[in-house]
Amino acid sequence: MEGKKRDLIGIVGKENVLDDPAVLEAYSWDQSFALPMRPSFVIKPENTGKVQEIVKWANVSRTPLVPVSSGPPHFHGDTVPGAAGAVVVDLRRMNHVVRVDRKNRMTLIEPGVTYSQLQPELAKEGLKLSTPLLPRANKSVIASLLERQPTLVPKYQWSLPEPLRCLEIVWGNGEILWTGEAGVQPHSLEKQWEMGMAQINAMGPQETDWHRLVSAAQGSMGIVTWASIKCELLPKAHQLFFVPAEKLEELIDCSYKLLRVRLGDEFLLLNSSNLAYLLGEGADGIRSLRERLPPWVILIGVAGRVILPEERVRVQEEDIKDITKQFALHPVSSIFGVRDEQVLAALLQPSREPYWKLGYKGGCQSIFFLTTLDRTPEFVSTMYTLAEGLRYPGQDIGIYIQPQHQGVAYHCEFNLPFDRDDQTEAARTKELFVRASEELIKKGAFFSRPYGIWANLVYHRDAQSTILLKKIKGIFDPNSVLNPGKLCF
Amino acid sequence: MALEDYRADMLRCTRCSYCKWIPFDQVKSQRFAKGCPSIEYNRFQPYSAGGRLAAALSLLEGRSSYTERFVDITYNCLLCGLCDVACKVCRYNMEPLQAMRELRFKFVDDGQVLPQHTAMIQRLRQEGNVMMSPEAGRSDWAEGLDVKNLTQEKAEVVFHAGCRLCYDRKLQKLARAAVSLLKKTNVHFGIMRKNETCCGGHAFDIGYHEEFVKCAEKNMEDWSRAGVKTVVTSCSDCYYAFKRLYPELGSGFEVVHMVEFVDRHIKQGKIEFTKTIPLKVTYHDPCHLGRQGEPYVPWKGREKKIRGQIVVYEPRRPRYNGAWGVYEPPRDVLKAIPGLELVEMERIRESAWCCGAGGGVIDAYPNFSLWTAGERIEEAKSTGAEAIVSACPWCEKNFIDAIEANGGKMKVYDVMELVHQAI
Amino acid sequence: MALSKEAYSVLEDIVGSENISDDPALCDSYAFQWLAETARPDRSHFMPRPVAALMPGSTEEIQAIVKACNRYKIKVKPYSTGWYFYCAPQKDGDDTIQLDLRRMDRILEIDEKNMFVVVEPYVICATLQAELMKVGLNLNVIGAGISTSPLASATSYSGPGPSSFWMGHNSENLLALEWVTPTGDIVRTGSLGSGAGWFCGEGPGPSLRGICRGARGARGGMGVYTKCGLKLTHWPGPPQLTIKGTVPAYRTPIPENFRAYTLAFPSWPAFAEAYFKIYDNEIGYLFHKQFNMLGADLGPAFWILYNDPTKTLRDIEETAKKPEVKRLTEEMRCAFQIILAGRSLRDIEYQDKVLEEILAATGGWKVERMAEPDMAEFTFLYLTRLAHKHLNFVYAGGYLGTWMQAGPPDYVIRYRPVAEAGLYRDQDSGLLAQSGGDSMMGSGSSIGGGGTTGFEQFASYDPFDQESVKAIIRHMHDATKDAVAHGFPPGHETPFLQIGMTDEELHERFAKSNQPLLFHFQRKIKELLDPNDIGDRLYTWLPEPGK
Repeated sequence: MEGKKRDLIGIVGKENVLDDPAVLEAYSWDQSFALPMRPSFVIKPENTGKVQEIVKWANVSRTPLVPVSSGPPHFHGDTVPGAAGAVVVDLRRMNHVVRVDRKNRMTLIEPGVTYSQLQPELAKEGLKLSTPLLPRANKSVIASLLERQPTLVPKYQWSLPEPLRCLEIVWGNGEILWTGEAGVQPHSLEKQWEMGMAQINAMGPQETDWHRLVSAAQGSMGIVTWASIKCELLPKAHQLFFVPAEKLEELIDCSYKLLRVRLGDEFLLLNSSNLAYLLGEGADGIRSLRERLPPWVILIGVAGRVILPEERVRVQEEDIKDITKQFALHPVSSIFGVRDEQVLAALLQPSREPYWKLGYKGGCQSIFFLTTLDRTPEFVSTMYTLAEGLRYPGQDIGIYIQPQHQGVAYHCEFNLPFDRDDQTEAARTKELFVRASEELIKKGAFFSRPYGIWANLVYHRDAQSTILLKKIKGIFDPNSVLNPGKLCF
Repeated sequence: MALEDYRADMLRCTRCSYCKWIPFDQVKSQRFAKGCPSIEYNRFQPYSAGGRLAAALSLLEGRSSYTERFVDITYNCLLCGLCDVACKVCRYNMEPLQAMRELRFKFVDDGQVLPQHTAMIQRLRQEGNVMMSPEAGRSDWAEGLDVKNLTQEKAEVVFHAGCRLCYDRKLQKLARAAVSLLKKTNVHFGIMRKNETCCGGHAFDIGYHEEFVKCAEKNMEDWSRAGVKTVVTSCSDCYYAFKRLYPELGSGFEVVHMVEFVDRHIKQGKIEFTKTIPLKVTYHDPCHLGRQGEPYVPWKGREKKIRGQIVVYEPRRPRYNGAWGVYEPPRDVLKAIPGLELVEMERIRESAWCCGAGGGVIDAYPNFSLWTAGERIEEAKSTGAEAIVSACPWCEKNFIDAIEANGGKMKVYDVMELVHQAI
Repeated sequence: MALSKEAYSVLEDIVGSENISDDPALCDSYAFQWLAETARPDRSHFMPRPVAALMPGSTEEIQAIVKACNRYKIKVKPYSTGWYFYCAPQKDGDDTIQLDLRRMDRILEIDEKNMFVVVEPYVICATLQAELMKVGLNLNVIGAGISTSPLASATSYSGPGPSSFWMGHNSENLLALEWVTPTGDIVRTGSLGSGAGWFCGEGPGPSLRGICRGARGARGGMGVYTKCGLKLTHWPGPPQLTIKGTVPAYRTPIPENFRAYTLAFPSWPAFAEAYFKIYDNEIGYLFHKQFNMLGADLGPAFWILYNDPTKTLRDIEETAKKPEVKRLTEEMRCAFQIILAGRSLRDIEYQDKVLEEILAATGGWKVERMAEPDMAEFTFLYLTRLAHKHLNFVYAGGYLGTWMQAGPPDYVIRYRPVAEAGLYRDQDSGLLAQSGGDSMMGSGSSIGGGGTTGFEQFASYDPFDQESVKAIIRHMHDATKDAVAHGFPPGHETPFLQIGMTDEELHERFAKSNQPLLFHFQRKIKELLDPNDIGDRLYTWLPEPGK
């Protein structure tokens, strides 16, 4: 171990190699049910060269590495070491916003850059990123996008990895590749910018979409050391509408129609519990809000940008009204005292502390998968039935449905708050988590981001892909140093 | 011309596959988008016009030689001309249909023939028709009709019945209906009776250029002797031969299809309908009246280039792309018949799907022929029509046979039949 | 080389005797390909002849064929519609069978609500679009036009078109995929592999889709794609277009919620600026610099002529000399086409206002002649259906695209004058069609939402004229030299030139590329997926160093 410490100090410097037990303890567990495992060290490289050195060293020394870019709390078990003797590679020192390009609507950042850091930088140039639903303030943008965390604006999501574009990847064998158009141009970002390029196109190079091989890979194929990301323009006019309903079923066809014609920017469906978790303060506040809110609501943000922004908002508002009317629904600017500006402001910011999912009971498990919108009521019903059977309070289940890929796929998420300190409640929640996961996958839920127990469930259903994926991993991480024990690896 | 003269077409084909489909702007569904029956039935690439050109090039370059398959490729085509229309949507310097005809001429010259065709040609030589029937019965259809015999008298108009109408007992009524209509309008016309000879179109189609020329020269001589200036026919195949092929041999006769004749006379008020026919019909454009029935002027010239490499012709070469076929007259006639409701199929006019009777296919590949007709009947059914109407006895015959083979209640009419009924 | 009797018999048992042939003329009809003459010895128009052509009817048949080919060491070259010399066998001496996928032509599912479709390889854009429009949907039709297979463009080759700005590049539209790998395994990607349907192409976890396509697709060189899901887009137009006019001058009335314009600009910087503003303001259902493909000097005359069904190409010079056409030609030198589609009448009115502001800011204008009903209706139909793409070849029967380096609009306009000067120079000999040095065409954006475009320089040559063919080959080399001399990377002609290279020449080129590592990784992927090398070299790779 001392030998390894020496090696690591030789690479990143003494102050960037941490083995204090309290520090290691903090990296050994997360909010999920993953079994805790202490790493041996936490190291903090500052640039790509160091990352490459670390990976090469890990291949020689056969040391598992666990890349981490975001601050705690983590939720999915992917940052908890899956093998003994692991070294956590904490990338948060690599936190430069390298470039913001208004004309091409692109930014290029390092993995340690968070949403709370990036959005104000982008705003200076009149840009913004579509974010996940109230991400943690210390959430790494690259980690979020790499893990295909759903974002709020489906109409800009031209493919599921969007808005992620070009990447610099240090593969598990220590080799470095630039992906997308950055990979075919001269191998210098400055030269590319001089040429007028902006690392816009994600495809390739050649016959492989390399960025897809690190997407939702939980850091097990390569470590991304920079990424170019497509931005949106900051709206000059921005309004939010609520479309409330008693039942989810009432919102389905209306949602389809709105999304089909690309109305709205932000577009998501929430049940009353989840909206209360987002907005309420404290358990009592949340409960009281939950009781007032309609059982279901579509939140649809309408933005105007460069030219005639107010008119753009007005036209969209009228079109939304025409469509919702067909389904006997009505867009409103407030629901039971909750105003649109309040919710919009919440949606456009990272979560306040404590993280919104933890605000109700201090702990939370999330089950999420992809499906199509028409199937969501069935999955919701399944969830409620199982919850009832296990005596988990159904009204506590927060439900979030996020259209993705311009309305082809839908992220369906069930948030299960629980008191981590109450063993019975924790056990009940865990059991519900496991049973629901098994049941939902049998009914056709697609766990496209297979964390924890989902990995086994998913990969057992798709043997051919699993075999191939393992072989592909063998090419890019032949010694299996990157986050072993995750996915099917 | 020789096959070598079409080497440029072969090399300028870009293998775009437009020749397999109707002009794409006209596609309205997946079911009825296909244009080329040959490749749809036979499937391999050389059964398309572009594929056949490539095979022809292969032959010219000595990369391949005559095989049973190559013979099949060459003759297993209706020569319906859809490929020509589709290609020419974007091309001004390609003649795929002519090139495929030239391939057949070469095959025949080189003895690469089908026994079914050989048999037909032999009978044509002997009996003057392609119906494998004795010459003597040629004018049986006209028995009892009081109409001039142009072998003995003169008239400026000849009605040419054509082999199918002369010999097909089920369809002879159409020839009689045409004669009856001509008489009603007081046109001075006659028929050639037994002396009527095959137009030669089928011989031309299957590559027997010499036989075609013999038929054509005989017909033209007979007409000249009879003082004919105008040839009227109910058969679209004959119409095509007279209008498009005969001028290459110096013919100056005016050629009129009965639908054109009737249409003109309806619009002049000389034909009036007294009866109602309550029937929903759809109209099938015969290839030889529609896209291949355009006005034709023989051309001799050469290719020249302007602006470097832009291929044009000196003198100006007329363009035959199906634009000016006979599409409106039959439709106008049908619309004028009281009670008749005309609904259109998806593939109409220059985009019409072939009936399956042309190109020598009906003789050599009867299954393919019937399949093609069956496809058209399906398309007709999709309109909700009770009947399919056409203006060519070969089309009608094939539709009747297909309905018999496949079952179904669709009726088959000729435009003249309905006109005759409604008068 | 011929197929052994045994191999033939095995393959015949799989597909049936009516679906296999090794007849030389038949096989040559597969070997004949556009652009072959630019790459083959003696400028032959034939690529290597396949040893047989097969038409499988199902994924299972393809799987059996591929397994058999592994056994008998026969290469497999699948194609959907087969347009381009990439579709043919690539190397002399390699025994290759051609898989003609025309029997697999089903539209398996149109999920109207979730806006996706599942298709087999021989479904073409024309028929699919017709079926989709009936239910208010549309798809991205690539620049090569409506005769192409969307499965092919999504999985195996070029995917942008006039609709990509609004509807995405077909790589972006690719959902789940069914793939028979070169070992004969069937891989089903994304949600399909998990039994959850076709709606998602990613995952689970890292996407196997990543090894399926990339920037250019393997062009049939790595297995056979047998089905795929494709994302669709809303079509706010009529369920069926009413076609008027006499062939070829077809037109269709423009619905009241659509607009069809040709927009012209006083300068190239203003042109580029307009592109950026269109990106920013998200208008443009179809957005393409299309009509310039027939030459800035001659194109406008051609379009006017084309819309008169009584005219032929012979009339082009006379048409070009007319004063109004001369004026139009000058007006359209710096122009592109755009179709606006409003989801509602108020929306299209809004879009019109946005466009007016963009034009005011950039000094642009709507070309009046092209806004007259005949040309506007033609433009609308042309771009919506892209059914006239064979016009690329109209002048002389041959066309080839050079340049087309992709980048933001202000990058692309920088190489425009270099490309223009180069083509003028190369047209001077008279061995290429003299349509104008600027014969460049390109999508408004090659990817969804804007950001990157490219100008493809159209050079027209006569494939029948050996000197013209030599001239087009020279032009390709010239285009590369011009690009490099001016600091641009080599363009679209590069992969064309590679077809005629030896393996050694190719490998030398790859080894000198910016990232040879890519090719080494791809070698490893190929070794994994295609150990018996039954794919071809269009899936690019480098040998292990020293080997």
